[in-house]
Amino acid sequence: MGAILKPRTLPRLRAAPSRSRPRSRPRSRGSPRHGRSVSPPGPRAGTGRAGPGPGPAGPRERGAGRAAPAAAAGCGARRAGPGAGRFAPSVPPSLAHRPFSSAVVARAAGDGGGSSSEVQWCFLQVKGAIDEDVAEADIISTVEFNYTGDLLATGDKGGRVVIFQREQETKSRPLSRGEYNVYSTFQSHEPEFDYLKSLEIEEKINKIRWLPQQNAAHFLLSTNDKTIKLWKISERDKRAEGYNLKDEDGRLREPFRVTELRVPTLKPMDLMVEASPRRTFANAHTYHINSISVNSDYATYLSADDLRINLWHLEVTNRSFNIVDIKPANMEELTEVITAAEFHPHHCNVFVYSSSKGTIRLCDMRSAALCDQHSKFFEEPEDPSSRSFFSEIISSISDVKFSHSGRYMMTRDYLSVKVWDINMENRPVETYQVHEYLRSKLCSLYENDCIFDKFECCWNGSDSTIMTGSYNNFFRTFERNMPRDTTLEASRESSKPRAILKPRKVCTTGKRKKDEITVDSLDFNKKILHTAWHPMENIIAVAATNNLYLFQEKVN
Amino acid sequence: MLGRGLKRKLSDYEESMAGLSSAFDSSRGLPYPLKRQLVLNMCLTKLQTYKMLVEPNLHRSVLIANTVRQIQEEMRQESNQQPVSICPGIAPASHSYTGLESPGISLQLPSGVGQQESHCCDLRSVEDPIENSLLIVSDDDMSSAISSILKDLDFVEDISPPTCLVPTGDDQPKFPENTGLKLEDDRQDLKGAECVFGSFEISNSTSYLKDLAIDDIFEDIDTSMYDSDFCCPPLMPPRSPSLATEEPLKTFPSCNSSSANNIQICRTDLSELDHIMEILVGS
Repeated sequence: MGAILKPRTLPRLRAAPSRSRPRSRPRSRGSPRHGRSVSPPGPRAGTGRAGPGPGPAGPRERGAGRAAPAAAAGCGARRAGPGAGRFAPSVPPSLAHRPFSSAVVARAAGDGGGSSSEVQWCFLQVKGAIDEDVAEADIISTVEFNYTGDLLATGDKGGRVVIFQREQETKSRPLSRGEYNVYSTFQSHEPEFDYLKSLEIEEKINKIRWLPQQNAAHFLLSTNDKTIKLWKISERDKRAEGYNLKDEDGRLREPFRVTELRVPTLKPMDLMVEASPRRTFANAHTYHINSISVNSDYATYLSADDLRINLWHLEVTNRSFNIVDIKPANMEELTEVITAAEFHPHHCNVFVYSSSKGTIRLCDMRSAALCDQHSKFFEEPEDPSSRSFFSEIISSISDVKFSHSGRYMMTRDYLSVKVWDINMENRPVETYQVHEYLRSKLCSLYENDCIFDKFECCWNGSDSTIMTGSYNNFFRTFERNMPRDTTLEASRESSKPRAILKPRKVCTTGKRKKDEITVDSLDFNKKILHTAWHPMENIIAVAATNNLYLFQEKVN
Repeated sequence: MLGRGLKRKLSDYEESMAGLSSAFDSSRGLPYPLKRQLVLNMCLTKLQTYKMLVEPNLHRSVLIANTVRQIQEEMRQESNQQPVSICPGIAPASHSYTGLESPGISLQLPSGVGQQESHCCDLRSVEDPIENSLLIVSDDDMSSAISSILKDLDFVEDISPPTCLVPTGDDQPKFPENTGLKLEDDRQDLKGAECVFGSFEISNSTSYLKDLAIDDIFEDIDTSMYDSDFCCPPLMPPRSPSLATEEPLKTFPSCNSSSANNIQICRTDLSELDHIMEILVGS
């Protein structure tokens, strides 16, 4: 890949106080008119129930034994084996498109083996404006690495997606290896208006999920509350010159001026990255979409809202299969909503969804077309000694993530992270307290609505460490083997290049030690809800309101 | 209008709640019933606020509603165990506890006579803890708390089809004003209750009207000058002869209808509010 001529900083867009946003915003060259997108018919023509089982998922099971060989001895490969669908890579993704290889991977593998030395994090980069008053549209709402870790996508409340690409190692800039720079920016979703209810549908990007790379182009799914879109991001570094019927300006030539015929030639041009919407999956969700998850067959994906989960085929936009429906006949009987859902990384027929009551249900699509009956039900019995008025609210699961190996899954509720073995339903195998000191503040947190904050969590590539966010721009990592936990802060103060992050501590007893922070001085407006871990290396991306922090493991 | 008055009181109420929630967290000295009451009030305040929002959050509303149910259930069980009222000030009229059947808060009202009695029981069991906290919370807050609590309690009780409540409304034996207020509120909240969750659908399904929070949208509109021309409400016997005959059919929520009929239904509800006001003020 050649030099990328793109601005190095995040483009700062005007804050839009009213919803009617001016159109004259810089867009990358892939506005909706450019691409070929299939628009669905109007009302929900397509959300029928599936017939006898969804066809595309297929009965083929992908065992972990067929994992990508050798690439990451310690790291479970995220996707195993060739897939059935159009987007399936022909080569296991961890080996494809990686110019530098074994050295990096070996180190990651070494970490997976359970190194005894603690990972020290140092600052790599920060993206975003420094201003004190943050425009609402700039608040980052999702962060996701792609399968190789070379691309990092962020979505924000303004409906924009910004993709960063990792710099390749070059002789001219040896120190910049590992830096992420803007690769593409595009407006994924626009605010919509539901005329029937006089409601505005937010353009905030709720989730982004990458598809594994099959050819030179990259594909990702992005969703707001109602609509999911498949975007293609491709590079263009050549253009055709010498058309017969068009001028260089693009104007049509008069036919009588064409005196000779010539063959257009391809000339190199400055690299341009285009994003074009390829599919729009709309009108299938009545409630707000909270999750999307790409299946391991690389042909289907699921989307979940508060009460329903739909299964889509990536090629088909006018129809989706409803696979879970927990809406009661009488809405007043509603006591539980779906909060997150994910496909199993290897078994394309298995998915889980979490609920607001702190339960997780694992479903097998082979058992029935409509998976209202779960195959496994995960719930930890409540500890009666810690019961309070807010017990149910803080038990609501905000995120569920399978480990790369597929053996474990992790759930995040308000105060803790739990790791579950999918073979054991009655309790988690590990529980980590994220910010237990908030338990005595629940009433105030309920009052200012912070208790409803939805924190996400993520695994590292080898499933040895998990990470999640907290308040005051703190985020926590938990090493499972030790067990050891660290609290770090994403702040401008510790943002010197390659500065090592100092662990932070919250003072829970009366006596505050030096450098400790009391619970009362925590800033609850600075919350880290979205974090992502590079699939193979120790590079983490942490979204703090409108800033994206990148930290890397300290390299000697 | 009643709606506007309630809003003003709510904002003062919220301010006093802010101080109390930190008191809840920090002090161990608050008695449990008071803590519970505080949480209940906060929950109901939030639900009220969400109802007023154009686009309430289903997840949050469900969580808060569950908390309210849980607290109510606790209160109910406590009052079951203590048949004598805690506050001697309240003269307990003859109780007719039908033995509230299931421990869980049943959302389906039992049909028939038992329903009326369980209403009375609920009223009783709720009022005792309220009276307790009279000592600590100011009168203004109390009155708004009571009205909001009474108004909203029933949304979790919910709500069978409208016709079930008509007989209870008609016989009002022992508790004239309060029960009258409560049952009138029941009817008003019938639709409001359905719509706490029903209004979340972002859809153009044909039954959207049933789910639409009709009350909430038009609560504050002063339509006193339109009162003479409202059409037949689904809950009460038809009053106005001046409308065309097909309109009563149109106003049933289960049918498709246009927004004009929404307004007519809401005018009906506002006339019920007037009725309530008369009861409170006049008699």
